Amino acid sequence: MPVWLREHSWRQTLTAVYLSLPLRGARATPANIFCSEQYLKVSIPPFLFEAVLYAPIDDTNSTAKIGNGNIFFTLYKKEPAMWDSLTLANADKEKLQYLRENAVLKAQEKAKQETEAKKVTKQEHKKYALEATMKLEEAERKRIEDLKERERQKVAEELELWKNQQKDGDKYKSIQKKEELHQEVEPLKERKNENINKTRIPNEATSKTRLKSTRGHGSCSIFSQNLKEEQLPAPRVAATIKVNFTPRVFPTALRESRVAEEEEWLHKQAEARRIINSDLSELEDLKEEEKNPDWLKDKGNKMFAMGDYLGAVNAYNLAVRLNNKLPLLYLNRAACHLKLRNLHKAIEDSSKALELLTPPVPDNEKARVKAHVRRGTAFCQLELYTEGLQDYEAALKIDPRDKNIEKDAEKIRHLIQGTVQSS
Amino acid sequence: MSAALGAERPQVVSHVQQALSYTVFDCKWVPRSARLLCLGSAARGAGVVQLYELHGARLELLREIEKPKPIKCGTFGATSLQQRYLATGDFDGNLNIWNLEAPEMPVYSVKGHKEIINSIDGVGGLGIGEGAPEIVTGSRDGTVRVWDPRQRDIPVANMEPVQGESKRDCWTVAFGNAYNQEERVVCAGYDNGDIKLFDLKTMSLRWETNIKNGVCSVEFDRKDINMNKLVATSLEGKFHVFDMRTQHPTKGFASVSEKAQKSTIWQVRHLPQNRDIFMTSGGSGSLHLWKYEYPAQRSKKDSEGSEMGVAGSVSLLQNVTLSTQPISSLDWSPDKKGLCVCGAFDQTVRVLIVTKLNKI
Repeated sequence: MPVWLREHSWRQTLTAVYLSLPLRGARATPANIFCSEQYLKVSIPPFLFEAVLYAPIDDTNSTAKIGNGNIFFTLYKKEPAMWDSLTLANADKEKLQYLRENAVLKAQEKAKQETEAKKVTKQEHKKYALEATMKLEEAERKRIEDLKERERQKVAEELELWKNQQKDGDKYKSIQKKEELHQEVEPLKERKNENINKTRIPNEATSKTRLKSTRGHGSCSIFSQNLKEEQLPAPRVAATIKVNFTPRVFPTALRESRVAEEEEWLHKQAEARRIINSDLSELEDLKEEEKNPDWLKDKGNKMFAMGDYLGAVNAYNLAVRLNNKLPLLYLNRAACHLKLRNLHKAIEDSSKALELLTPPVPDNEKARVKAHVRRGTAFCQLELYTEGLQDYEAALKIDPRDKNIEKDAEKIRHLIQGTVQSS
Repeated sequence: MSAALGAERPQVVSHVQQALSYTVFDCKWVPRSARLLCLGSAARGAGVVQLYELHGARLELLREIEKPKPIKCGTFGATSLQQRYLATGDFDGNLNIWNLEAPEMPVYSVKGHKEIINSIDGVGGLGIGEGAPEIVTGSRDGTVRVWDPRQRDIPVANMEPVQGESKRDCWTVAFGNAYNQEERVVCAGYDNGDIKLFDLKTMSLRWETNIKNGVCSVEFDRKDINMNKLVATSLEGKFHVFDMRTQHPTKGFASVSEKAQKSTIWQVRHLPQNRDIFMTSGGSGSLHLWKYEYPAQRSKKDSEGSEMGVAGSVSLLQNVTLSTQPISSLDWSPDKKGLCVCGAFDQTVRVLIVTKLNKI
C-alpha cells in the first residue's frame, strides 16, 4: 500500500496553478513525475501523490522544479479561469480509473509523436548536410574542370596558330621556291657564257636538267632535295642472317608454360635426391660408395647389361632401401623382373615408378613411356591382354611416334580379338 | 588525373575524341601537317585507311580508302617530305607503299611474308638521317625483312630462323643507329621475350637477350643518331630501357627495368623533340609518361678492364587512364611538341595534348 502524500499546498492565478508538494525525505527525479492534461501523479515508492485536476492544463509548457525536499509545480491552465479546487471533487473510482488510463495513453501517444517529430527533424538535418557537401564538391569539381578547360583552350589556340603557320609557311615556301627558281635561271644563263668553276659543273648540269623537267611539270621541287637523291647509296646487297631463338629448359615462352607443374616436378626430383632413409645398423658394414643410390643404380645397370639380372635386382633393392623416391630405380628393377619372369613384381615396380613420375611434364616423358611399356609387357605375359593394351595405348599417347610400340599394340589387339572370337 | 597536386607536372589533356566504325590498329601523323591517318580493319574483313584533319576541336574526315585486306601497321619513315608515301603491312603479309593522292594502285607492292606483318618501320626519309630509305617488317612467320623501295620483290636483308628450328612470332621491329650512310641497325622483339639486334652494315647478329616475357614494342630514342637508348616493352607490365652506348663483350648492354602496370604495355613512343621522354600505353587503357635520367657516369670498367654501360633511372611524370580497352597505337606529332594521337581497341581515336613539356 503506497503512502499517500496529502500535505500539498497550492495557489492559483487566472492562468496558472502553483502547487507545492513536500517530499518527506524522499528524493525525486523527473522520472517519478507523470503529468498529462488532466492528471498529475508523483510516485516515489513507497510515496504516492496523484491529482485529477479540476480543468485541463497545458502539460507541455508546465514545469516541475525539484529541490529542497519539495516539488514545485507550475501548471499553466488551458483555459484561464479560477478553479474552485485543485482536484475534481466528485470523482468516483471509475471515473478516476478512466481518467488515469486515458492520461497514460495520452502520454504515450505524446511520447511517440515527439520521437517521430525528432526523427523527422533529424532526417531534414541530414539531408541539408548532404546537400551542402554536395554543393561544395560540385564547386570543387567545377573549379578543376574550368582549369582543364582553360588549359585545353589555350592549347587549342596554340594548335590553330601553329596550323595556320604551317599553311602560311608552306605557301611562303612555295612562293620562295618559285622565286628561287626564277633567280636560279638568270645566273645560270649568265654562267653558261662565262668561265665556270669546275666544282659547279655537276651542279649546273643537274640543275639544268632539273630545270627542264620542273618547267615541264610546272611543280616546284627543291633543288637540294634532288641533289640529295643523287647522293643516295644504291640498294643494299641482299643477304640473309640466320637466327636462333633462346632455348629454355622447358621450351615454351613464359606465357605458355605450365610453370607450376614443372616446378613441382623439379622440386620433387631435388627432394628425392636428398632423402636418405637408411637403416644405419645394417648399413654400417657397407662401403662408402655402396651407400650412394646413384652408384648402386649404375652398378645395377651394368649388371643388367651383362645379363646378371639377380645381381642387378640386388643392387636396385639396396638402392631403394637407401632412397625410395627415385623413380628410375623402380623402372630399372621392373626391367630386371621382366627378364626374370617375375611378372607380378615387374608390374608392381612399374606402377611405383609411374606414381613417382607425376606430375606429367615433357621432362619425364621418356621414363613414363618406358614404365608403361614394361608394365604392358608384363600384363601380356600374364595373358591379361586388355590391361596390357591399356598400357601400350597410354605409352602411345605420350609418344605417338614410336613405331615399335605401335606394332606391339597392334599385335595385342589382334590377340584379344582372336581370343574373343575363339571363345 | 591528378590535377590538384603537381601543377608543374605535365598534364595529358584529351583534345578530340573520334568514334570509328572499325577496329583501329595503327594511327600516324602525316608529317608537316595537322592531318592524321588511321589504319585498321573493318568488321567485314576489309582494310580501312582514313585520313583526318584536325580542325579546332574536332576531326574532319578528308578521305577514306578501302583495301581488300585488313591493315595492321604503317609508317611514313622511308619517304621523302615531298612525296609522303605511306608504307603499310597487312594481315596477309603484303607490304605496300601508297601515294595517298592516288591510292588505287600501290607505288610498290610485294608479298613480303607468309603471315601477318605485325610491325613495320622506315628510315632514311622525311629529311631525317642519311642513307638509303629502307623499310623493315616483322611478321608472325618469325622472319624480319628489310626492303628498299627501289628494289622490287627481293628484300635487302632477311633475318629468318635456322632451318628446322621452331619459329617464334616477331612482334615488333625498329630501326636505329642510322647516323651515316653505311651504319644501320634493326632491333626485333619476339613473342618469347627475345630481343635481337641485327647490324645491317656487317649483316650479322650484333646482340641478343631475352627478357622472359613477350616483347610488344621496341623503339630507339632516335633513329638517326649513334644508338643511345632502346626501350623494350613486354607483357605483364614491364619495360626495359637499355643503354646502347657501351656494349660489353659478354654482358651486352646495361638496362633498367620498370614495372608500370599489371597489364601488357602495348607501345612505347619517344617524344621527337626530347629523346629522354617517352610514353607507354597499356592494356588497361592507360598512358604513362616517363622521363629517363642519365647516371653520373655512363660507363665504367669491370673487373677485367672491359667497358660496361651503366643504366640510369626512369621516373614517372604523369599517368592517365583514357579507356577501358587497350591503347594499341600511339604516335607523337613530329611538328608540334606534345601533340599525340592514340588509337584504342574501343574503336576510338583520341588526339591528346601533353602540356608543360618545356618545363622538364
